[in-house]
Amino acid sequence: MTTLTVAAPPRRRPRLRTAVRPAHVATAAVLTLIVLAAAFPGLFTSASPVDTDPVHALTAPGAAHWFGTDQLGRDIFARVLYGTRTSVWLGLGSTVLAVAAGSVLGLAAALGGRWTDQALMRLVDALLALPPILLGLLAVTILGPGTLNVMIAIAVAFSPGYARLVRAEALVVRTSGYVESATVLGLRRPLLVVRHIVPNALGPLLVLATVGFGSSLIAASGLSFLGLGPQPPSPEWGTMLSEGRNFLATAWWIGVFPGAAITFTALSVNVVGRRAQARFTRRTDG
Amino acid sequence: MSLPALLRAIVKRLVAALAVLSGAATLAFLTLQLIPGDPVAVMLGPGNAASPEIRAEITHEYGLDRSPAEQYLHYLGNLLGGNLGESYQLQRPVTDLIGDQLWPTVQLALFALLLAVTGAVALAAATAGRHPALRAAASLAELLAASTPAYWTGILLLTAFSFQLRIFPVAGAQDFASLVLPAVTLALSLAGVLAQVLREGLEAALAQPFVVTARARGLSDTAVRLRHALRHAAIPLVTLTGWLTGSLLGGAVLVETVFGRPGIGALTLQAATNKDIPLVIGLVLLSALVFVVLSTVIDLLYLVIDPRLRTR
Amino acid sequence: MPVNRSRALVLAAAGSLFLGACSGAGDTDGAAAGATATPVSGGSLTYAVDTEPVSFDIHASPQDITGAIQRNVFDSLVHQDSKGEFHPWLATKWSASKDLKTYTFHLRDDVKFTDGTAFDAEAVKINFDRIVNKSTKSQYASSLLGPYTGTTVVDARTVEVHFSAPVASFLQAASTPYLGFYSPAAIKKYGSKLSAGGAAAVGTGPFEFTSYTKGQSVTLTRNPAYKWAPSTAAHTGPAYLDKLTIRFLSQDATRVGALTSGQVQVADPIPPADVKTVKANSQLQVLTTDAPGANYALVLNTTQKPLDDIRVRRAVLRGIDIDTAVKSVYFGVYKRAWGPISPTTPYYDKALENTWTYDPTLAAKSLDEAGWTGRDSDGYRTKSGKRLSIEWPLMPQEYIREQRDTLGQAIQADLKKLGIEIKRPRLDIGTYIAKVYGGQEGIADYSWARFDPDVLRLYFNSSSDPREGGQNATFYKDADLDKWTDQAQTTLDKNTRQDLYAKTQQRAIDLALEVPLYVRTAVVGVASDVHGLKTDPNTWANFYDTWIGK
Repeated sequence: MTTLTVAAPPRRRPRLRTAVRPAHVATAAVLTLIVLAAAFPGLFTSASPVDTDPVHALTAPGAAHWFGTDQLGRDIFARVLYGTRTSVWLGLGSTVLAVAAGSVLGLAAALGGRWTDQALMRLVDALLALPPILLGLLAVTILGPGTLNVMIAIAVAFSPGYARLVRAEALVVRTSGYVESATVLGLRRPLLVVRHIVPNALGPLLVLATVGFGSSLIAASGLSFLGLGPQPPSPEWGTMLSEGRNFLATAWWIGVFPGAAITFTALSVNVVGRRAQARFTRRTDG
Repeated sequence: MSLPALLRAIVKRLVAALAVLSGAATLAFLTLQLIPGDPVAVMLGPGNAASPEIRAEITHEYGLDRSPAEQYLHYLGNLLGGNLGESYQLQRPVTDLIGDQLWPTVQLALFALLLAVTGAVALAAATAGRHPALRAAASLAELLAASTPAYWTGILLLTAFSFQLRIFPVAGAQDFASLVLPAVTLALSLAGVLAQVLREGLEAALAQPFVVTARARGLSDTAVRLRHALRHAAIPLVTLTGWLTGSLLGGAVLVETVFGRPGIGALTLQAATNKDIPLVIGLVLLSALVFVVLSTVIDLLYLVIDPRLRTR
Repeated sequence: MPVNRSRALVLAAAGSLFLGACSGAGDTDGAAAGATATPVSGGSLTYAVDTEPVSFDIHASPQDITGAIQRNVFDSLVHQDSKGEFHPWLATKWSASKDLKTYTFHLRDDVKFTDGTAFDAEAVKINFDRIVNKSTKSQYASSLLGPYTGTTVVDARTVEVHFSAPVASFLQAASTPYLGFYSPAAIKKYGSKLSAGGAAAVGTGPFEFTSYTKGQSVTLTRNPAYKWAPSTAAHTGPAYLDKLTIRFLSQDATRVGALTSGQVQVADPIPPADVKTVKANSQLQVLTTDAPGANYALVLNTTQKPLDDIRVRRAVLRGIDIDTAVKSVYFGVYKRAWGPISPTTPYYDKALENTWTYDPTLAAKSLDEAGWTGRDSDGYRTKSGKRLSIEWPLMPQEYIREQRDTLGQAIQADLKKLGIEIKRPRLDIGTYIAKVYGGQEGIADYSWARFDPDVLRLYFNSSSDPREGGQNATFYKDADLDKWTDQAQTTLDKNTRQDLYAKTQQRAIDLALEVPLYVRTAVVGVASDVHGLKTDPNTWANFYDTWIGK
């Protein structure tokens, strides 16, 4: 803390970079752990996430079971670890899908002429009029529950935001002098997109996607929490949390640990996202 | 800005609003036609005691044996007359159902908004431009609040304050005490986002020349913060608050589920999981209406607040 | 009643259960905890339940909770006690024709609906005719009336109810709230609006339906004119409670929390996990009673591969460690089941108990014999390259009660050890109904509460086809099962019925048509100052004799 004080910038010239610095090391550590847990959950525990052991049901956290056991005697620590893959995959997959869909929509609107632009943007407006959770809920209603469907639902819910951003960036780039001259020089549209618009829009898009990943993760787990996500017995944080809800008074650990996992993952991603945002803003502001 | 110009702006807004609403209705109707499964099964619930004759009777009564085009025209016709139809599952008029459930959610949303804005303003005003460690702590707290899923916060608060300490009732919407925990839950993530933005705005404002002037006039630090800088930073706050108010409806789905409260969120979940098409469309329209009204109000507010925008 | 929706109050299998008294208490001794205390009139009580009715129309709704709430508002022709005996209620006496196709009821002459309309023979006819009218869209009451052909008003006090086939179970049906009576004036005035509850629900019962707030509660108030309680009740005249509020708290933890914190005085059900906590609380007591009717079971579809092979069905029957699973999921509160119907149902066959214990070796052998000898990389059995896989769909979460999904995970784990893959896709309710009752799924799971062994006909008679609104999701056609369950409906002779129903139960297990899992058990938490809480013999809570003491 003292080093921080020394390193502090003068008053009234705030810089966000330093404001989040204490969290950097922790963030990096947590993110590494998350990636490792998602890739190799077996590294951290020998317990199975699905094997039942009724004799040891509802054991409180202790040496044998760090996070305790659930109603069927399954190890919560193992379930949280193995759930990482599903949950992170849900958040990541839906973000990638949303960015892809949003980019296509946004580019089409920016480059497709006035009518396409109008039609697509009114669609985006209509979608933005609904809160993401509601949109996701509607999408799952149509698609039915399940991992992939939740992913698509969340992607549908978040893609309008990306579409707007990509369209705005594309319009800026398109109307900028160098692209206009490129058009005059006879550069064809697809090439224009690849050469100029995509690289320019990529930065802000990545920043938004990083922050968006946290929101997607929370929203996807929310749908799972409502019973619409991956089906038991496969471990997933939101699903586990909803299972734990029935044991609030008797076995708090069933719900608390999966919830903490969602929060810490979202938090560390958001820290990264904020830092990227701060940096990016400073860079573009000159 | 002259009065006719203001009126014209309002009319233009209203036309656009109608377009969004009818678009949302059509979109919802079309997508819901894609839903596999039989609405009659929804009406009958998980049992199977109804004979095929009863199923046929219900199908006919709700006009489900007609073509989608006919159903759509029929639906639009009813919509123009202010009739949203009847819920398949609950067999009551959609407008009645929404009317019944609106108030608990409005209460929840308003109280949550109040808590969030007050909390965010207090936190931002207290920490903006202060000691770096304090700011770092505040920043972390804001991020944590924004990163914690409301359904988890709700469960933690319930466990602590209702089950262990027994300060608040565990469920319902019968009195003010039962409003506190759900509102705090909903407010926390909101406050996190608001405080972040507000603090940045404040820090930017504190760096402006007029602050130096104010200080030079001998105003106290608190006065400078509250009277001058905060006002300056209020515009993004208004925008963001407007946007987030719309998202409260989504948050209400989860929070009302966790706390066993009645309301639009609980109704939405019930309607969506049961594919109760008329009710779902009604709720989509409600949500779109809330959005349209909010953005109109915000835009008009700008016209009033910021004279520079009037010329546009 | 119907499937899976958790029944509201199953306080006693039948008959009443008194706080502090043992469940063996007869129907007529109405003493509560502290038998010496004198009941006091007044006060209000809040009762938390886990399900909210979709429809309050007793004639249309198939839900348990509708019956449970409306039992306090509507009376029946006859009253059935815990031993299955019938007592006068709105009818003073009755008789059945020899062929069991006509029932004659003589009605009380002093009964009035709460809107002032007199209850008479015409009211009976109007109500029964309303039930079978297709615009009522009855999902349950009409099946209780069965082959109903009409009601004849003999005079103001006498009615004849006619059927086209013998109905031995009609008196039982007539004792349920589903065949209760709305005021003819209310039917005329509100018609299809009766499903919304509220002041439209005008009955003759001890309470009036005052209001309903969706998502929250129902309020009933005392009917001050009530003086026609069945003779089995503990007192006569109006109910003691001024007001009865029914709160809908679907979350288990919330409902229990509301009880322990004193927000509600009666909570139903108490999840097994919390029974210990509630019992330990000196301010509370727990009433545990087995429900009558069909046990919660895995109903095996005998027309789908691989369950069309009896050897595979037997392997499933013997390959699940039901004892351990039920004990761990329900903390020893629910009993495991041994047959299709529960021990408290009349003509339960005790001989089935312990005859088909957990035997994984036998189950494995049975699968070997059926040719499922290969193994794939995931450890599942195969036959000519095909995996031994059975689909058992899940309903939307809101319809799942009693942690049945958790029990399902235990079953899934047991069968996995045997090499059987159980797939559990989550379906929306429309698809679920269409597939399960259309015979396209391997396993269905449900229970069916009714204090009558006629549920065996509903479950195993081939005419009870789910595609026609029946409940035989085994889709099995067996001449014996059909004959026995049909015959039992044509006689009131106890020995004949005993014999027929015992054979039916044994054959269902012999053919491994279903895997009975647990006996549904009502666990109700009650504050200790609540006295005289009674249940209707058809398992619904009856607050008529209930009073608040100290």
